[in-house]
Amino acid sequence: MATTADAVGAFPSPFEIETPAGCEGWEEMYPHYALFKEERRESDEGRLWFWNSMHFPVPMPAFDVTSIDGPYYGLGAWQNRAFAVPPAMGIDYRVVNSYIYISVNPVTDPAKIAERAEFFQKRAGHYFQNWDELYAKWRVKMDALLKEIMELEVPDLPEYEPDEVVFGDENTSFYKVIDAYSRTLRTCELMWQHHFEFLLLGYGAYLTFSDFCKQALPDIPDQHIAQMVAGIDVLLFKPDAELRRLARLAIETGVAGAFADGRTPDQVDAELARSDEGRRWLEELEKVKDPWFNMGTGDGLYHYYRSWYDDPSIPYASIAGHIGALAEGREIERPTEELARERDRLAEGYAELLGEEQRGAFQELLGLSRTVFPYVEEHKFFCDYWFLTRWYNKLREFGALLARNGYLEDSEDIFHLSRHEAAQALEELVLHWASGGLPMGPHHWPPMVARRKELLAKLADWTPPPALGTMPEAANDPITVMLWGITPARLQEWARAQDSDGAELRGSPASPGTVEGLARVVRTVDEIGTVRDGEILVCGSTSPAWAPIFSRIAATVTDIGGVMSHTAIVAREYGLPAVVGTGRATARIRTGQRVRVDGTAGTVTVLDGDQAS
Amino acid sequence: MTVVATDTHTRPLADLRSGDEARFGGKSASLGELIAAEIPVPPGFAVSTSAFHAFLDEAGLRARVDAALAGLDLADVDAVQAASRAVAGAMRAVTLPEDVRGAIGAHYAALAAEVGEDEPAVAVRSSAVGEDSAEATFAGQQETYLWVRGVDAVCAAVRDCWASLYSAPAITYRAKIADAGVVPAMGVTVQLMVDAAVSGVMFTCSPLSGDPSIVAVNASWGLGLAVVGGEVTPDEYHVSKVTREVVRRTVNAKHLEYRPDEASRGTVCVPVEEARQAEACLGEDELRELADVGRRVERFFGGHQDIEWAIARTGTVPASLFVVQSRPVTATGRPPAAEKAPAPAASALSMIMGTFGVAGAAADEKKDRG
Repeated sequence: MATTADAVGAFPSPFEIETPAGCEGWEEMYPHYALFKEERRESDEGRLWFWNSMHFPVPMPAFDVTSIDGPYYGLGAWQNRAFAVPPAMGIDYRVVNSYIYISVNPVTDPAKIAERAEFFQKRAGHYFQNWDELYAKWRVKMDALLKEIMELEVPDLPEYEPDEVVFGDENTSFYKVIDAYSRTLRTCELMWQHHFEFLLLGYGAYLTFSDFCKQALPDIPDQHIAQMVAGIDVLLFKPDAELRRLARLAIETGVAGAFADGRTPDQVDAELARSDEGRRWLEELEKVKDPWFNMGTGDGLYHYYRSWYDDPSIPYASIAGHIGALAEGREIERPTEELARERDRLAEGYAELLGEEQRGAFQELLGLSRTVFPYVEEHKFFCDYWFLTRWYNKLREFGALLARNGYLEDSEDIFHLSRHEAAQALEELVLHWASGGLPMGPHHWPPMVARRKELLAKLADWTPPPALGTMPEAANDPITVMLWGITPARLQEWARAQDSDGAELRGSPASPGTVEGLARVVRTVDEIGTVRDGEILVCGSTSPAWAPIFSRIAATVTDIGGVMSHTAIVAREYGLPAVVGTGRATARIRTGQRVRVDGTAGTVTVLDGDQAS
Repeated sequence: MTVVATDTHTRPLADLRSGDEARFGGKSASLGELIAAEIPVPPGFAVSTSAFHAFLDEAGLRARVDAALAGLDLADVDAVQAASRAVAGAMRAVTLPEDVRGAIGAHYAALAAEVGEDEPAVAVRSSAVGEDSAEATFAGQQETYLWVRGVDAVCAAVRDCWASLYSAPAITYRAKIADAGVVPAMGVTVQLMVDAAVSGVMFTCSPLSGDPSIVAVNASWGLGLAVVGGEVTPDEYHVSKVTREVVRRTVNAKHLEYRPDEASRGTVCVPVEEARQAEACLGEDELRELADVGRRVERFFGGHQDIEWAIARTGTVPASLFVVQSRPVTATGRPPAAEKAPAPAASALSMIMGTFGVAGAAADEKKDRG
């Protein structure tokens, strides 16, 4: 099935994308199966690939490819092989100039779809009918895995093996290093298995409820559907709730002054340690840390994202912000009772408007959606934040081992090797440690790392198109709609948008209201410090780690995400206008431009020309 | 006091119930129901079909009407027009029977006493008997006379409503569908006029999608004629019944409005000054109040309603808001889209299966088999 790049609704061919000058050779950072190659050209050009900017907004470091492979093993195994979702198998990915494009493998043969439907009904039915019990088991499995990664020791290579190796049963250090590394990788694969066990079914139940509502109540705002389902007392809101409690405690016990402007967490701690009240506050903080400081500062998929343990400046800044707000007499608590009342009011209000038969289905679907939703919201804390930040820290320990032996300049450099290259480096390290021979690694790896760092820095300036390849005839794959909010209509808009450089962008209206202001384009969570009060945040997507800036911005616009995305949910809670899923806001809008965000209509208008440098 | 006559030919709106429709027409009966349900409706009274018959019996009018219509060739448009004019002329030449006139006068006086004015302005509207909305349309049963003042003017307006039964289209229509010799009948509603700052219509569901959670409001400045007659593009608002939030707001340029006119003892159409044209004519509070009233009317009648309303120039909502008319949405020929939606599947689980393409598989199979 040959395709033409100028077909109606076509996106650029992935084979026509040029490598920016000076970035030649980026391909060698990635596995051979992740590249657009001549051998698959016909098939790959005939499919639609969209930039997964939700999970991979910046160029992919070589090691972080585990955060692509892992999820797509996990997702595909459950979706395609375990539950056999009838019309869609798993996700393929390709790397273009270090950005990640994905495409779903459809099932088109009706007989095959029917065959899969039999499996799916039986297996998914089992999960829906025994959800609470299965989820309780999942929590036990996940706890065990978290314990394993936290307790896993990264051994050193001593001059002489300890006595226990000779007089006891202890293994030699070369084996211990190799074993620890392979166990580290294995725990991650297991985490991704756990991560996807419930995810599709959870989103599917929600999507069904949402579709039902839109059919029975065609004008229902998406946010009302979300509000009826979303949890109130959700685990993901706990970390910030604890920070608010600590802020109140600091004021009540008279130690809030320790959070004076500009102090680092260490300086705050030192100040607090000087008084009894301060020390008591610090004890209370320690209790909060386990587990809530396992909260992430980003979406978890890159090694860049750390936990609050790793970077306490984020929770400390939040505490300082809460103290400031309280001092001004502002209310900082999430109005949970009001949210709960609103949730019930909406559910009762809409149910009342439906006919008897429809009301029964509405209530049943709502009930099921509420049953599955804790998993949808909570898995992020356990998998993406807690596990992955601990896991990347283990790899930093392996990086430190390599750095101590001259194989790398810095422990962080391990993230510029693929997981297989890191294994190779460790294998050579233990070989020459064992043999006492002259290693090659110190000559081989550091220049490679230096070149890759340079590549990633240069490629960060390249703007990936939202999609590549050919628009599918029926782009109605439930998985892409569920997880990425990419509907046929959205694709059409992206296709039209690439042909115009009009001042208006369209997306999903995620939170109502209209605001004008100066744009602040933020690519990653690391840059959120640049956001000034009252600006309009323009970003790829947000995660709970972005929470601190929502109290400062006037509106938000994202490239990707649907009305159930984190951005949409938080914007609604804060009452900020939001437009999500615009495809290319971060490419079209520059920091400093004046824009109007209409969160009711789902449009973003650039009001002036180029003011930014 | 003309107690006996009142009982026969007229009745206060507040005393009417749905069972009175055959004698007083649908509009009057439904207003009576609304008042009973404590919906804010301007006070007024109804004139029954018996008054119309009494009128026909006055001064040989019935014979003159029959004569004008006898042997009429319906294909001859000019002849039908001439007959229509002849009937109208005959009717206008006859004054109302004394007992009818007395009953109307007594009720009008009672209204005047209620509002403390000598000659309060009223709206005189036809009140159709029977369910056929097409007939109602053809038979001129949508006649409305606004800002009518004084008992003579009210009686004339009532007579004009009756005369509209013999408009040319009405004559033709009735001849086609009804047995010859059936005498048409009509009730009349006389209701205190609201000096409206803003008025319009609302649907208790979305007129486009049929969404039952929406109250759709069309509104413009001044009296209701501009919106009902389609003379302006009104502001459009959607209010959620569930949250009472305004979920859609389209403000249009409303270039004209109808106001009461002292000189003509009627209404006058005047241009709206530039600045006010593009101004939203309803605020948040008013829309919320409208939606609440719409919801109450809908609940009361047990179905979606098409409601005419007005907000008085004086006072604030809720006191200034009045419903002047309500009829079922289906009678407008625009059934809610939701009624066309397929019945939901048997269980939530099977619907979720459909999301994952299970139902789609079955449909594809059928399609393949042809």
